Amino acid sequence: MPFNSFQFVAFFFIVYCFYLLSSHKWQNRLLLAASCFFYGSWDWRFLFLIFTSITIDYFCGLKIHGSDDENVKKRFLILSILVNLSILGFFKYFNFFISNFTGLIDYFGLSIQPRTLNIVLPVGISFYTLKTLSYTFDVYTDKIKPARSYSDYALFVIFFPLLLAGPIMRAGELLPQISSKRKLRLDEIGEGCYFIFWGLFQKIFIADNLAKVVDPVFNSSAPYDCTKIILALYAFAFQIYCDFAGYSNMARGLGKCMGFDIMVNFNFPYFSTNPQEFWARWHISLSAWFRDYLYIPISFSKREWGKWGVIFALMITFIICGVWHGAAWTFVLWGAYQGFLLVIYQLFKTAPIKMPILENAFFKKIWYFSRMFFFFQLISIGWLFFRVKSFSQALQMLRSLAGFLSNLQFDLLSRAMLIDLVFFTIVLVIVEYFQHARKDLTILLKAPFPVKLFVFMALFYLLVIFGEFGTKEFIYSQF
Amino acid sequence: MVSERLKKVILKVLKLGDFDLQGSTKAFQVPGWDSLSHVSILSAIEKEYRIRFKISEVLSLNNLEDLQLLVNKKVENAV
Repeated sequence: MPFNSFQFVAFFFIVYCFYLLSSHKWQNRLLLAASCFFYGSWDWRFLFLIFTSITIDYFCGLKIHGSDDENVKKRFLILSILVNLSILGFFKYFNFFISNFTGLIDYFGLSIQPRTLNIVLPVGISFYTLKTLSYTFDVYTDKIKPARSYSDYALFVIFFPLLLAGPIMRAGELLPQISSKRKLRLDEIGEGCYFIFWGLFQKIFIADNLAKVVDPVFNSSAPYDCTKIILALYAFAFQIYCDFAGYSNMARGLGKCMGFDIMVNFNFPYFSTNPQEFWARWHISLSAWFRDYLYIPISFSKREWGKWGVIFALMITFIICGVWHGAAWTFVLWGAYQGFLLVIYQLFKTAPIKMPILENAFFKKIWYFSRMFFFFQLISIGWLFFRVKSFSQALQMLRSLAGFLSNLQFDLLSRAMLIDLVFFTIVLVIVEYFQHARKDLTILLKAPFPVKLFVFMALFYLLVIFGEFGTKEFIYSQF
Repeated sequence: MVSERLKKVILKVLKLGDFDLQGSTKAFQVPGWDSLSHVSILSAIEKEYRIRFKISEVLSLNNLEDLQLLVNKKVENAV
């Protein structure tokens, strides 16, 4: 039951009607039951897994907080980490490790029969594992007090708008919103509806249509046409962004309609001019998780190494971030590439260049857009590792890209791809340009009434006429 | 309350001439204090006060007041 399905619309409508009529206590009970139903609609067996995590972490949180003995605290923290990572490891990485292990054995001339299992990956497992782990880490470091109510804690983990693909909100931000009474304001509900609509537009009009530009290129085999790879990479950059930011916007909107304040997960990432800025704007809740629970502990433990400690921590963090996205070497490569960009940026970043010509507002803008454009190329190359099906496909495509000046062919198909790319992204670029310039995500809502009416009618028209209503799954919910 | 000595160390690492550092100030509110400079700041504080932080202590910090209290506790224990 993805957000972009008619079943979800019916589900949310029924839940919301009861929600509006209920007291705070019953609202939480309703949300917990609805979230269980929502998650169980994929496979009811997943509920056993998520409730194992919930129960263990709830119990560990109380034990960690209730003890003054550092060893006891550590033991329960380790128990929580072991249980959560074992579940994630088994369901997500078991077959990957087995196939790599047998490959290694084969390499040394020995042959064994690999025993892989037909494991179904529980949806959203990567997201809720990080969420529950952050809870025990925060209780351990005394950042938060543990949840006293089991049902409040269970709702924190399984809350349906955030369950499949985040944002990975911390207990310190979400638990107080669950345990205290929420105010429903008409303007917040209006904003919520806007975020749901814009998220749906990003997913159905932009992302799912761009998939038709991207998929044929990545599903084909070598030799590759350099022009088509470039166009497919640009299209994928916008597809993955709109797919994921669309989901996050819808989650935020659903939350707002129910009186929750859900964090912003994407803050105009493609307006970034360097990798550090990009990771502060892209999938903010995930980068903050990796920063707080992985990068800082690693870099701090290696502080004697000076700059090398930072480089080591960055590379390890981003390789793990890559592996988190999927059990494949291509994701490892993608993570390593992102880490490498950050390391290079750290090593060579200098004070802002002071040139008299940049005092001029026009040239200042040109300089900013040039840096943004250059960095967008680097990010798009990174998406190649993320999207390819295999390591060898990545190499073949990179080889084709390397000779791009001698290999550019602009045939009819490339022209059609370019037209689709421009048509399905132009609205996003215009809307985000204004949102970014005014630093306001709700700028469309604040426009004068005739402008607002025209824009929303145009968006609605585009959505109805060109929208892909095939309930395509969100990419990130498959992680 | 953040001591002048602590402020001086932080501002020196961040190469800031002057910035109003309060107890309630959070790292992200200070220009240049990001995840990459965070470790350099903590290392400089360790050197200045001849103390050593644990990772769990570093992770528990919410604002500058927490940092000041942690430094005070460490200095007291070291004496």
